[in-house]
Amino acid sequence: MSTPTLDIQNLTLGFKGYTGFTEVLHGISLSVNPGERVALVGESGSGKSVTARIVLGLLQELRTARIGGSVRFEGRELDQLSRRERHALRGKAMSMIFQDPTSSLNPVFRIGDQFHDVLRRADPAISRDAALERAAAILAEVSVRDAERVLNAFPFQLSGGLNQRVMIAMALANEPALLIADEPGTALDVTVQAQTLHLMRKLVEEHHTAVLFISHNLGVVREFADRVYVIYKGRIVEQGATRAVFEDARHPYTRALMAAVPRLTGGGIPDIEENSPDFGAPLEIHDAEARA
Amino acid sequence: MSTPILELDAVSKTFGTGADAVHAAQSISFAVNRGECLAIVGESGSGKSTVANMILGIYPPTSGEIRLDGSVLPARRQLEHRRAIQLVQQNPLSSLNPKRSVGASLRLALDVHDIGASSERAKLVGALLEEVGLPADFARRSPAALSGGQRQRVAIARALACQSQIVVLDEPTSALDVLVQARVLKLLNQLRETRNLTFVFITHDLSVVRNIATRIAVFEKGRMIELGDTETLFANPAHPYTRRLISAVPVVTREEAALRSSLAAGLEETTE
Amino acid sequence: MKRTLAILLANPLSLLGVVLVSVVILSAVFADFIAPFPEHRGAVVDFANFNKPPEWPYIFGTDLVGRDMFSRILYAYRISLILGIVVLAIAVPVGVTIGLVAGYLGGWTEYLLMRLTDVFLSVPPLVLAMSIMGVLQPTLANGMLAVTAMWWPWYTRLVYNITRGEKEEGYVLAAEVIGASKAHIIFREILPNCVPAIITKMTLDMGFVILIASSLSFLGLGVQPPTPDLGSMVADGAKYLPDSWWLTIFPGLAILVAVFGFNLIGDALRDILGAEQ
Repeated sequence: MSTPTLDIQNLTLGFKGYTGFTEVLHGISLSVNPGERVALVGESGSGKSVTARIVLGLLQELRTARIGGSVRFEGRELDQLSRRERHALRGKAMSMIFQDPTSSLNPVFRIGDQFHDVLRRADPAISRDAALERAAAILAEVSVRDAERVLNAFPFQLSGGLNQRVMIAMALANEPALLIADEPGTALDVTVQAQTLHLMRKLVEEHHTAVLFISHNLGVVREFADRVYVIYKGRIVEQGATRAVFEDARHPYTRALMAAVPRLTGGGIPDIEENSPDFGAPLEIHDAEARA
Repeated sequence: MSTPILELDAVSKTFGTGADAVHAAQSISFAVNRGECLAIVGESGSGKSTVANMILGIYPPTSGEIRLDGSVLPARRQLEHRRAIQLVQQNPLSSLNPKRSVGASLRLALDVHDIGASSERAKLVGALLEEVGLPADFARRSPAALSGGQRQRVAIARALACQSQIVVLDEPTSALDVLVQARVLKLLNQLRETRNLTFVFITHDLSVVRNIATRIAVFEKGRMIELGDTETLFANPAHPYTRRLISAVPVVTREEAALRSSLAAGLEETTE
Repeated sequence: MKRTLAILLANPLSLLGVVLVSVVILSAVFADFIAPFPEHRGAVVDFANFNKPPEWPYIFGTDLVGRDMFSRILYAYRISLILGIVVLAIAVPVGVTIGLVAGYLGGWTEYLLMRLTDVFLSVPPLVLAMSIMGVLQPTLANGMLAVTAMWWPWYTRLVYNITRGEKEEGYVLAAEVIGASKAHIIFREILPNCVPAIITKMTLDMGFVILIASSLSFLGLGVQPPTPDLGSMVADGAKYLPDSWWLTIFPGLAILVAVFGFNLIGDALRDILGAEQ
């Protein structure tokens, strides 16, 4: 089997604060294979977003953070890379899409210039014209028809949906091996969100990009991911192929989560406990033989 | 048939004038019956929040009338009008004053509307907290010491404190985790029954609406494009936008996916 | 509150601030008991011991008429602190109320109040105080009046900006929907959210008021002799530098200790209270 694009083993994270030490991640392991779409799904405070931040190397620089375990990107231990190497990785081999597209784009630069900056990370010699041409091509892939107008615009002149598509195009412009998407589209309207996810899925499929998809929305995860990890209070509680997890949830927490989502087909509001000692049950792995 | 508790009669709201005018709500008419949960569904810019704000009296309509129990509500609301219509907001982090205790926030409604003897009000606050499933001694806590779900319960208790008849729920569970959301929706259903409350439920989330609303009004670009019973509307949505809205909802089961694709059939794949 | 104090004492810099400020406050309050020559705060002449360098029992030396510098500095702290407290006790409520009202009500009220504030802010503080003192008699009361007149607008600006932000918060909307009065919303809902910023600024300002008051006295426009004042002590002694260095160095250091101490605490409070929000 080929090397996974991302391989996290027994990752722990704690923060030192005024009140003492708080452990946020209690040893989580997950992997994303080349071209695979993997979702990490959990509620707020479960540790899903900090995991993404560690992979991006954003928490390592925090003085209060204590990180243990191993994070390998294409076989290389992130910990052993220098700060510069890690920085070079971001935006080139690894890129990210955030929740709110409009605030993650720089408001004072035109979209075209921001594309130029992004493309320069991979090819420092690229000219502005060549960059714009390349940008227009990739914007076309996310169904942006009037690329010229968009490239000339400032982010605030575009709709949230359009900005989100610009973000996706930018994130994929350098053909990264791994895309980390943290709750993409949550800030958008439902119809725009559906479209955005559809486009993003199409694009990563075509480019064979591996995706780590962070979300709290089970419906969105079901539509996007090949494989799912369910995280609860800093521990992975269930993992497996999306279909298996959704149609045959085994862990009490995953079951509660599934049951709690109101159904479009009706049936009323389910009676679910917010908390249960059963949620601490051990990890359920669906496709154990394939994952060994 | 008895008078509807709340009626909107050709209500419009325009912000700005001349070329800059924004028609946020255009000739909206509907009636809400006592004890029902009417959902107003739409995306950003649909006018659903504008209508909610006019019902609450945050600003008056540009034209048209809003009637409470048959009598027209004035532009400047009296205390009795405020007392009848209350609000639960989306973000419980912002809707409770971080510098005041939970008890002080609840007591405000009692003080303003002079409910109960002032010596009894502390007891009333405790009873309200218990009614929404929180211990009475939470009154002494600061909102910062509460979880998101607990804060939203406090916000609900505050909306009930002045014995309101209508509660405008503005995305009351959108900021909550799904397990917490289920509990809070359950509580709202139960309160509607025990207190015979009327809900105006503002949301973008059709899966929630499917399970809590008696009727649904669909808004698009300042207009109400469809109004119907929940069952009917989901079984046979008349307007293409309603179909589009329902078929965009992310779902978790096969049955839902099947419903969605049956509604999406006939709709063109549109991008922007 | 307890937590704030614990953090203040845990950090070495803010701990130093607490120590310095405690020294200043204790000196001012217990000057009568600490000062070796309490009568030297007034018009005392002792030509036998004039202009002496530091030596027992005059640990900070004596001035040109033989008064003990140490005793005079203790009493000067008392004047400085009273001045600071009185100035802030008037400027803060006035400035805060105007800021709250302008920020919450908006419209014409806001326009008028904020333009008035701008007028006061546009005049350099020391110049305004000097002109007021020039027109009126240079007494301690007028000194306070002058400093107060230039101090309140800063609180108006501060509170106005916070209020504009808080006004958009859900809890203000909730209170309006309940039907609470404007006075309730302004003073009971919004004001508590301004308090951390106000306290932080007041702590920082204690140092600055002392400094400004000293500057005015240095120019001869502040506290009048024979009342001891740090600013006028520095001014009087400056003529005899470097020979009689103790006449300027000790009152100068005294100003430094007070201003530095209040600033250290103020900075720490800003971090602590800011982080709590």
